[in-house]
Amino acid sequence: MQKDDLNTIKFAGIVCLACSMALAGVKGSLNGIQIRNAEMDRQVNILKALNPSFSPDGTALTEEQQDEYFLNAGVPKEWIPQYFDEFVTIETENLPEGVPSIEPGQAPEIYKLSNPEGELVAVGFYAEGKGLWSTVKSYVGLEPDLETIRGVTFFGHKETPGLGGECSKPWFQKNFQGKKLGENGEPLPFEVVKGKAPEGATSQVDGMSGATITGNGIERFLNKIYRSYNQDVFVAMRGATEE
Amino acid sequence: MANVKKIVMDPLSDNNPITVQMLGICSALAVTVQLKTAFTMSIAVTAVLSCSNLIISLLRNVIPPKIRMIVEMVVIASLVIVVDQILQAFAYEVSKELSVFVGLIITNCIVMGRAEAFAMSNPPKESFLDGVGNGLGYSAVLLTVAFLREVIGSGTIFGLKILPESYPGNGLMVIAPGAFVIIGLLIWAQRTITKKYEDA
Repeated sequence: MQKDDLNTIKFAGIVCLACSMALAGVKGSLNGIQIRNAEMDRQVNILKALNPSFSPDGTALTEEQQDEYFLNAGVPKEWIPQYFDEFVTIETENLPEGVPSIEPGQAPEIYKLSNPEGELVAVGFYAEGKGLWSTVKSYVGLEPDLETIRGVTFFGHKETPGLGGECSKPWFQKNFQGKKLGENGEPLPFEVVKGKAPEGATSQVDGMSGATITGNGIERFLNKIYRSYNQDVFVAMRGATEE
Repeated sequence: MANVKKIVMDPLSDNNPITVQMLGICSALAVTVQLKTAFTMSIAVTAVLSCSNLIISLLRNVIPPKIRMIVEMVVIASLVIVVDQILQAFAYEVSKELSVFVGLIITNCIVMGRAEAFAMSNPPKESFLDGVGNGLGYSAVLLTVAFLREVIGSGTIFGLKILPESYPGNGLMVIAPGAFVIIGLLIWAQRTITKKYEDA
């Protein structure tokens, strides 16, 4: 009986050891690729918001190509590091208190995209807030006027597919382009409406049918976070360019 | 040879893990909104199922009976973690969409069920084939459900539009209750064909 128990313990020990070694080996050999994937994924999302109108070798992209790369199919993999090496600068200085960052505890960042001539063409920031079931994460890219949306992406959520989950679809994100979060230096009440936004509206976008709560959540966090950035960062940036 | 064929073919229809044994329903509801996720999930489950059956069958004569189920669990869990890690490394997009459901293969009753019911009492080769067969049976149902849900729900197959742009999509098919309805209909159809009924 005692010998039996000893064997059982021995067997359990061997199984545990073998399994942990195997898992450690797998994790160890794949970890590098996984970290690269996650980083690449984050950079793709930032690029979707900044929506560059040129490729990393400096040629201009047509609007169809921009939609292709930054809304629908995705940006070619080799471009991603090139954009970040040459055209995107990341700043963490003097950002407002209380704005979110993608990793909890990490400092919030803003992203400045310059074109090959060195002019500032887009400014991006991270935003997030509650949808219906989950936190919706987002990067928002603004034109140099720091008011007009250049590109936006919503991701990392668990909203209902086909309803609130539509917020990650190209049609919904496209619908934000050219809309205004602010005007003459003041934040506007930006709205995700129920149904279609009225013709010619500057600060209203089409909502998702059957997903009012997700839409309201997006509206709320965009307004709130834009307000913080506007008052603490964008005012100063506008002042600097006017001088 | 006939035996091998029976082991692999039986779970495809006559003894299908989902429609006959009613196992693995949870993931069949959760990952069948699109074919892409259902396809990845099918491969993942088939891989875990056949490998776990193989390993457990190899160990079947040395596993102390007292800790039999715990050992099965450890083997299955380790395999699932390996699959999850591989997906995160080589199929990052899909692994994001599958999120927790890859991890939940551990609790998929089919895997544990086959380990207990088959691998513990059969030699490695047959056990491996039993795993493949049950994996394929699970996959067949998963892919059928996902096909119907994707076509009816959003008018696409593997993300490609096949119905005209004007097709509005069907919200019921996109949410879990749609999968209940389809699985229910499949079970009905299957039992009518195989004439296998449960006594009430």
